[in-house]
Amino acid sequence: MPDTEVLYNEEQLVLLLRQGSREGFNYLYRQYGAVLYGVINKIVYDEQSAEDVLQDAFVKIWNNIAQYDAAKGRLYTWMINIARNSAIDKLRSKGEIMKAKIQTGDEVVNNVQTGRKTELVTDAIGLHNMVAGLKRDYEVIVTLAYFKGYTLDEISKTLEIPLGTVKTRMRAAMQQLREIFDK
Amino acid sequence: MNIAEYIASGHLEAYMLGALSETEVAEVLSMAAMYPEVAAELREMETVMERFALSLAKLPPATLEDKIWGRLPAAQGNIASETASVKRSNTIPFQPQYRKPAAWKYAAVVAGLGGSIALNAVLWMRNEHKNDDIAALTTKIKSAEQDQKIIAAVLNDYKKNKAMMSDTAMQTIVMHTVQPGHPMAATLYWSKTKGEAYVSADGLPTPPAGMQYQLWVMQNGKPVDMGVLPIDLAGTPGMQKVSKLVTDGQAFAISLEKQGGSISPTMQNIYVMGKVS
Repeated sequence: MPDTEVLYNEEQLVLLLRQGSREGFNYLYRQYGAVLYGVINKIVYDEQSAEDVLQDAFVKIWNNIAQYDAAKGRLYTWMINIARNSAIDKLRSKGEIMKAKIQTGDEVVNNVQTGRKTELVTDAIGLHNMVAGLKRDYEVIVTLAYFKGYTLDEISKTLEIPLGTVKTRMRAAMQQLREIFDK
Repeated sequence: MNIAEYIASGHLEAYMLGALSETEVAEVLSMAAMYPEVAAELREMETVMERFALSLAKLPPATLEDKIWGRLPAAQGNIASETASVKRSNTIPFQPQYRKPAAWKYAAVVAGLGGSIALNAVLWMRNEHKNDDIAALTTKIKSAEQDQKIIAAVLNDYKKNKAMMSDTAMQTIVMHTVQPGHPMAATLYWSKTKGEAYVSADGLPTPPAGMQYQLWVMQNGKPVDMGVLPIDLAGTPGMQKVSKLVTDGQAFAISLEKQGGSISPTMQNIYVMGKVS
């Protein structure tokens, strides 16, 4: 039996998955399992939940592969987003919504000037070191959006900064991420 | 707002980070379908976010793979087998989809699956009195045969594409949506000197019953029929050779017509159009 490490491109993998092929599933698991698990682990901390979410994510990928639309983005991104959203759902269902904690933080630091808000939110909900290498202002925004599932509006309210500023910082954050990962 | 401002606004980053509402997401996608520079920006960001995700990679427990397979609906009744043909790798590949597999690798898969079928047949004979095993192996053989068919088709496509792409005279014409609010696209590959063209309708919706897409080439301001597209071409990554020769033209367009096509395009049903550069 040849010991060939086969590589499929995304198009071919989608085809295999749509056929319900075990080879397709095995490939999917081997190539993407670790990345999806890593993303999930960043969102739900305990191992057992992360394993459950990974299972859910793969089942969703398997069941929804017919709906995947290559015109809207790459398969890889689509799968990462399924894993991310499954993990965020889990986080919410567990009642671990970070917003609750932020609210408490709000009452305590009611009179602090807005400039320090990012620092406070970061400390209050333990967002620090979520995205290594990013400036703190950017890190908190990336983390709230990408790992906590906050919308633009929610971020703007939480950090008490205008919506436009949130977007500007997102752009700057992406620029910095590009410098970090474009090597 | 012009496109450069739109790109600089941070809206696309918000999309990438998952901070937009469903309506806003649809808007971004339609902008991407209309403006190649928006699509290019998104693709670049996708790569950055994929690399970021890759930097977080962590191996899940080995036991999960079979557990998940057992939970997949279509897999019910499939026997969890030893799948000796699958080598498990503990390395985390870097950007696997960027690597272009060589044709021989496909050939190796086809050969490998052939070997797998042969081995299954041997095993099957040895275990002929075990009914359960026979059922399991029959399933495996069927699944392997199906894989082989898919891979053979992929190999065939690959060969065709390679021959086509190596034609240096081949130009690519991306046809963009002309229906505001409906992000659609199709691609035409045209070798003007040979008069050969290939069309891919990946970004078109499946045509409604009784309707079919038709390709047109604009020659000196007049649309000329280039034939109808197979119904199952829309929305799939497949490519179709255009049946008619086309040696001249300034633009290509696809319209939705009644089955069998029309003599001239129904103007309000022109979905996508692209100029020859």
